Amino acid sequence: MIAHVAAAGEQRGRVVLRLTQEPAHPMALEAAMRMAQAFQSEVESVFVEDLQLFEWAAFPFACEISLTGRRRIMITPERLALDLQHTAAALQRRVGDLARLFEIPFHSTVIRDEPVNAIARACAEHGPWNVVVLAEPLAAAGTVMLRELFAAVSGATGILVVGPNARHTTGPVIAEVDDIDHLEPILRTAEKLLGTTTEERLILLLAGHSESETLEMEGQARLILREPPVATIARVVVRDGAPIELAERLRREGSGFVLARFGGLLAPDHGDLHHLVQSLECPLLLMR
Amino acid sequence: MFFKRSQPDHPASSATTSVTAAAPVASASVETVKARSATPLPLAELRRSADPAILGFKTTAELEPISGLIGQDRALKAIQFGTNIKAHDFNLFVLGASATGKRTAVKQYLAKIATTAPTPADWVYVNNFENPNRPRALMLPPGRARPFAKAMISAIDELRTTLPAMFEGDDYQARRRSIDEGFRAGQEQAFEALNRRAQEQNIAVLRTPQGFALAPMHEGKVVKPEIYNTLPETMRKEVEARIEALQKDLELILEKVPKSDKERRSRTTELNADVATHVVKAALDDIIADFADAPAVLAFLEAAEQDLVRNAGLFLASSGEESDVVKQPADSARDMRFRRYMLNVMVGNGEAEHGAPIHEEINPTFGNIAGRIEHIAQMGAVVTDFLLIRPGALHSANGGYLLVDVRKLLMSPYAWEALKRLLKAREIRIEPPSEMAGLMSTQTLDPEPIPLNVKVVLFGDRELYYLLSQNDPDFAGLFKVQADFDDSIVRSAENDQAYARLIASIVTAHNLKPADASAVARLIDEGARLADDREKLSIEIGRIADIVREADYWAGEAKHEVIRREDVARAIDEQIQRSDRLRDRAQEMITRDIVLLDVAGAKVGQINGLSVLQLGSFSFGKPARITARVRLGSGRVTDIEREVELGGPLHSKGVMILWSYLASIFAQDKPLAMGATLVFEQSYGGVDGDSASSTELYALLSALSDVPIKQSLAVTGSVNQLGQVQAIGGANHKIEGFFDICHARGLTGEQGVLIPKSNMQHLMLRDDVLEAVKAGKFVIYAVETINEGIEILTGVTAGERGPDGRFPPGTINALVEDRLRYFAERAQAFGATSGEGTISRREGS
Repeated sequence: MIAHVAAAGEQRGRVVLRLTQEPAHPMALEAAMRMAQAFQSEVESVFVEDLQLFEWAAFPFACEISLTGRRRIMITPERLALDLQHTAAALQRRVGDLARLFEIPFHSTVIRDEPVNAIARACAEHGPWNVVVLAEPLAAAGTVMLRELFAAVSGATGILVVGPNARHTTGPVIAEVDDIDHLEPILRTAEKLLGTTTEERLILLLAGHSESETLEMEGQARLILREPPVATIARVVVRDGAPIELAERLRREGSGFVLARFGGLLAPDHGDLHHLVQSLECPLLLMR
Repeated sequence: MFFKRSQPDHPASSATTSVTAAAPVASASVETVKARSATPLPLAELRRSADPAILGFKTTAELEPISGLIGQDRALKAIQFGTNIKAHDFNLFVLGASATGKRTAVKQYLAKIATTAPTPADWVYVNNFENPNRPRALMLPPGRARPFAKAMISAIDELRTTLPAMFEGDDYQARRRSIDEGFRAGQEQAFEALNRRAQEQNIAVLRTPQGFALAPMHEGKVVKPEIYNTLPETMRKEVEARIEALQKDLELILEKVPKSDKERRSRTTELNADVATHVVKAALDDIIADFADAPAVLAFLEAAEQDLVRNAGLFLASSGEESDVVKQPADSARDMRFRRYMLNVMVGNGEAEHGAPIHEEINPTFGNIAGRIEHIAQMGAVVTDFLLIRPGALHSANGGYLLVDVRKLLMSPYAWEALKRLLKAREIRIEPPSEMAGLMSTQTLDPEPIPLNVKVVLFGDRELYYLLSQNDPDFAGLFKVQADFDDSIVRSAENDQAYARLIASIVTAHNLKPADASAVARLIDEGARLADDREKLSIEIGRIADIVREADYWAGEAKHEVIRREDVARAIDEQIQRSDRLRDRAQEMITRDIVLLDVAGAKVGQINGLSVLQLGSFSFGKPARITARVRLGSGRVTDIEREVELGGPLHSKGVMILWSYLASIFAQDKPLAMGATLVFEQSYGGVDGDSASSTELYALLSALSDVPIKQSLAVTGSVNQLGQVQAIGGANHKIEGFFDICHARGLTGEQGVLIPKSNMQHLMLRDDVLEAVKAGKFVIYAVETINEGIEILTGVTAGERGPDGRFPPGTINALVEDRLRYFAERAQAFGATSGEGTISRREGS
């Protein structure tokens, strides 16, 4: 939705913040608020009670190992439901407080389902132009889950993720473009996000396999850019190890937000996104 | 038994008086012996006036103002000794009347010697990083404290920029990430390995709300329990055994996390210290170089450096991360985070300050003397730190001189005790007064004491000095030098000249008109009057200066170019007029016969006494009637003033002395079988002093002899057991007080005052009194003995005992003796009749 809304110059859309039993990263929550602020949309936080956990809890031998590893607790479905209810309430309250601070409309729901299904349902029920924010840092096996999400959640045009090292949402907005078709929607989205960071720098990082490819994109970009141009254009020709090389460049810039196409050079949909996300100190908005 | 007798008025002018006893003493008239006429004091004896002609100048403009004091050699030598002696317990107590210029003299002298004395060290309080409740005191060379404080602020300012820059720099960030990643990767690898092992065994690792769980898995999904239960029991047991084994592995991994995290933090701390040390050292290098000669400063800087490195995080908080409620100021000195690195300058000599300090504390409270620890309210609690230590007068005066008014010091709770304690300890230790009082206090500090080397100069009156000497055992040990300022100097031609220069210096100091010689002469006269002694000059500089300043005003009013004699006289008159409402009221009571006082005629047993009232700085004489009554009695006199507890001890002493005189003269061969009462008529306040004892004796002699006393005369003077009349104080005021009443009622030429001869040297009477004397309308007699006095008062010879041991008939003493013999005989007769040998009943004392 973000890209579409941004491209259409519309002021609608919805940020779906997915919460689970895993600890939420503060930068993910803040990024959700900044996105909603940029597009004047609302935040709907969806706490997902993973069905698999209830199936596990139904086993007579189901026991929970504490985070310190020093305690085992026998779990029943009732006990699990209560624990999840408390966890959800605490998280929703935290998100609500943040939403009030950012003066953003806020709704919360709890859905008991498999995680991907739950988000698909939430996005389908409340209409298009959704961007999904994953509250927990992206895990090692996160690429698979992202692929599933993009596949299942048709109403979502972008998924925002953070890594464990995320520490700020302020700084220049860096839009990585490696496909001329996606240039305009990503650029417009980046322009919108620019207003939510403390800096007014937008870096358009044009990545391609060849010089001519990047030059073509630059020409197109200069046509699209509004006057006066707010973006600095940088071209990068990449070959092997593109994500690592690009990620290092993004880190050096001290970016506040990074935008990239899911399945592109920076964020390939077949590889492991975990390392890229880990290297970033800001949120990464993956666009369809 | 008592007897009545009539007491008719007798004309004072009659040289020989007929006395009629009411009963049995003398039924017939007795011829009295007329006394030789007494000679009043000549005009020249009544005042010693300065002669303008011999002063040798026209106006004070010709005179060189005097730089110091006159006539205070003893005090000045004491000050010189007390300030120069290098002993901590030789502090000074400067005593003397107010307005004698003692404070100015001390300051002038100290100012002279202080400039050549070494400038004392600067002192600062700094944070004690090991024990913040005990701030450290650092000594610095003079003039270095303030630059040091500024340098520390600059260093902190610099660190506020350089430390964040260093911690945000690529180098630090890369090293930090390397540490974090190393540890995170270790953990993740362990988790990943466990995850892989679990997946290989079809076991899922799940994240639960409060930890982790392991469950049987099939095709990436947790197996539903109903399906699981359909599995053979052996298979289920095998799965559960695998889960149990993996759970144990998971527990081991999780248990290692805190230890691993601790190690990560330790390495991060090492990294932070490494980065911060480099920056902090660079910031402090200049200060270390500047203060290489001050070991205490270097030790502090070393401690500060370590603390800065430990707390480098303080400098990394940006404004965005700070509380919205408490915005931190941009100024490092006011930033709460950096207070611990600031300096509290307790003593900081400026570049222009040289020599020993002279500090005068005008409000010597406990805190102002010893320093104090202030508190501030913070989040509902009262807290303090080393920057809230405030210096006291002792800090400012350390290495020099502290000047304090002892009366104010004694009136301030705990201040005197604190001063003594610190002088004895020879160090300034700041403690809250609540600790001295043994009360509980809020959290406070125990700053390191600062060595004390100060000379304390206390100013006070003599009464306080002697009170302290007597009652405070510490006083004599700490204030061993007394500088006693005289309040008068001997009057001489040389001192008259000095006095004129003193007046010249007052004129110069206050930018007044010059005073001409006549005005100076009048001021010298007034100086003698203030001294109450014509052979002395008062050196109460303040009072003299007041007169000169007022005279300058009146000279201006009169369009005089210089201050003249009449301006001085006007100033004195106006001063009196402003203060003499009560005198007027007292005189009015007498002239309207509300207070009974005769100034003409003669009466038996009645005499005019003289007293002096002091109202602030204004004194005036007030005549009072004294009466005496005699009767047969047991040999005691009743002092009514004492009986009603209005008479002071000195007055009672005077009465006892006069009774002793009577007994020694008249009761050698018979008992003093009389009773007498003495009273100050219409006196409703206290009476003290013995200046009326001769007066009371005259009244008694008149009552016993039945010879009237001239009411046109008033008397003052004390008497001793030998009948000698002794000097009293306030002779001028007393004479003038009676003169004013006589003048109001009309001067007759008979009126006058008897004063002791020894008081002649004190006479400095007013111009109007002198004029009356000159015109023969008022007289002053000076007497040496009671006999001389009674002759003047009665006109009858007192009489001396002849070879036969008897007084000549018709003399006062003969009449008194006859009367007393009569009393004795009556007492004896009364005892025989009543069967008693003597009268033993006590009547008064």
